[in-house]
Amino acid sequence: MDTEEIYREMANSIVSLDQEKAVHLANQALDESMDLLQVIEKGFGEGIRKVGDLWDEGEFFLPELMSGAQIMEKAVDIITPGLQSSGSERQSSGKVLLATIEGDIHSIGKTIVATMLKANGFQVVDLGTDVKAEKIVDEAIKGDIDIIGVSTLLTTTMVNQKKVIDLLNQKNIRNKFKVIFGGAPVTQGWVDECGADGYAENAVESVKLVKELIQ
Amino acid sequence: MLFTNWLEDKSKIILFDGAMGTQLMNRDLEPGKIPDLLNIENPEVVKKVLASYYDAGSDMVQTCTFSSNVVSLNRHNISNLYQKINVEAINNIKAILPSEENLIVGDIGPSGEFRPPVGNASGDMWKAGFQKQAKILAPGIDLWHIETISDLQEMSAAIQGIKEVSEKPIIASMTYRKTKTRGFFTIMGDSVETCVTKLEEEKVDVIGTNCTLGSDQMIELIKELVNLTDIPISAKPNAGQPRLSGGNTLYDQPVEDYVNDIGQMIDLGVKIVGGCCGTTPTHIRKIRTLIDSR
Repeated sequence: MDTEEIYREMANSIVSLDQEKAVHLANQALDESMDLLQVIEKGFGEGIRKVGDLWDEGEFFLPELMSGAQIMEKAVDIITPGLQSSGSERQSSGKVLLATIEGDIHSIGKTIVATMLKANGFQVVDLGTDVKAEKIVDEAIKGDIDIIGVSTLLTTTMVNQKKVIDLLNQKNIRNKFKVIFGGAPVTQGWVDECGADGYAENAVESVKLVKELIQ
Repeated sequence: MLFTNWLEDKSKIILFDGAMGTQLMNRDLEPGKIPDLLNIENPEVVKKVLASYYDAGSDMVQTCTFSSNVVSLNRHNISNLYQKINVEAINNIKAILPSEENLIVGDIGPSGEFRPPVGNASGDMWKAGFQKQAKILAPGIDLWHIETISDLQEMSAAIQGIKEVSEKPIIASMTYRKTKTRGFFTIMGDSVETCVTKLEEEKVDVIGTNCTLGSDQMIELIKELVNLTDIPISAKPNAGQPRLSGGNTLYDQPVEDYVNDIGQMIDLGVKIVGGCCGTTPTHIRKIRTLIDSR
């Protein structure tokens, strides 16, 4: 099998949600001292991008999206020690902090976004649910974060998303971070009203949005 | 039994209620707080909303118990309150029930926990959580509405949990979103057809759909549903999509448009109509007028 073919197999293992095959191919990449950065980018990474496309088209749903991202993470975990020992490291696409805002305990959307971002090479700090705006801002400063993502499912707690922006403004550090919103009730109108940098309809869109903002 | 008679009466369109949560929000419900808690903490405000729907002409109104299954309450760390909330929810609706010609619907909402690979829920966990709630509500209600369910497996768990403790009729409402190219699916990937087949197998009395979609999109979904089953259909769409302005959630869709869409759904053969998020007693009153004028 030539290298390109192995990359295709790797991508296929993610798209066909075949964990056993993905793990096997990741180990094979280590054994054969393949270019591990390329393995992630052209192999497994291509697979997770396809999973995103299939979700977008309505061919894949939540279970497939989560499985694909989890298998991707497994493969990357196998490869990471090899990357580190070779002195090269998978270049982080950027650092994203995620939290569900104060008053809201819904975690599923945020967790899916976190999983997809990690699978796409972002470092993710997940603060969990019911997190106060003050804590989000403090952790963003401490963690040298590029993008702050604030999630909410409830229209009642949506108003608290704005607090994050207000607080950044008060501290005169609004320009240090990009702030994005997520959650079913969020619209472009709300993003504009709050002065946030964007929102995404779903986890796949959120990866695209974060990539755009970080450039 | 009255509900079964209504279902059998070909000329009868059953008018359900409108939104509870968004009505309570307009009455200063604390952000993030589950409305069900108000059954205990502020029963008067719950009774007001319930009564406003009966007053507007609803044939039946559901208990304020959307999140009061044990799994869902557990997520809010208040599962110890499940008995009290459900008992008081029955007391509250009974206190304002206008007549014997009106029915009480036991509302069962989603657990909020997903099965693997999305979350860690299991069928047994779901079933037990719904059943505990159903046991308490059962003596006080006339029929069930299991609603806003996005996983057919969770719906099955709820139906089976209820059927073991109650023989009362069940409306089983799934919530669908529209995919770009393949029509309507739940977020877990259940197609409308798969849902109908399974719900027929589970022998529910009414196949329903609610939430996620506005009334215009729900018309399209209903067109699919009526072709797939002979079981009566229930439709409770949202009042369009919400918009937040100055801290208030607004639903901009004109009531007339909503009522017009409901009229189209009745023409398509829907038996039970009402509303989900953003709908108000005004919506229900205007649908009452529409039904009575037919």
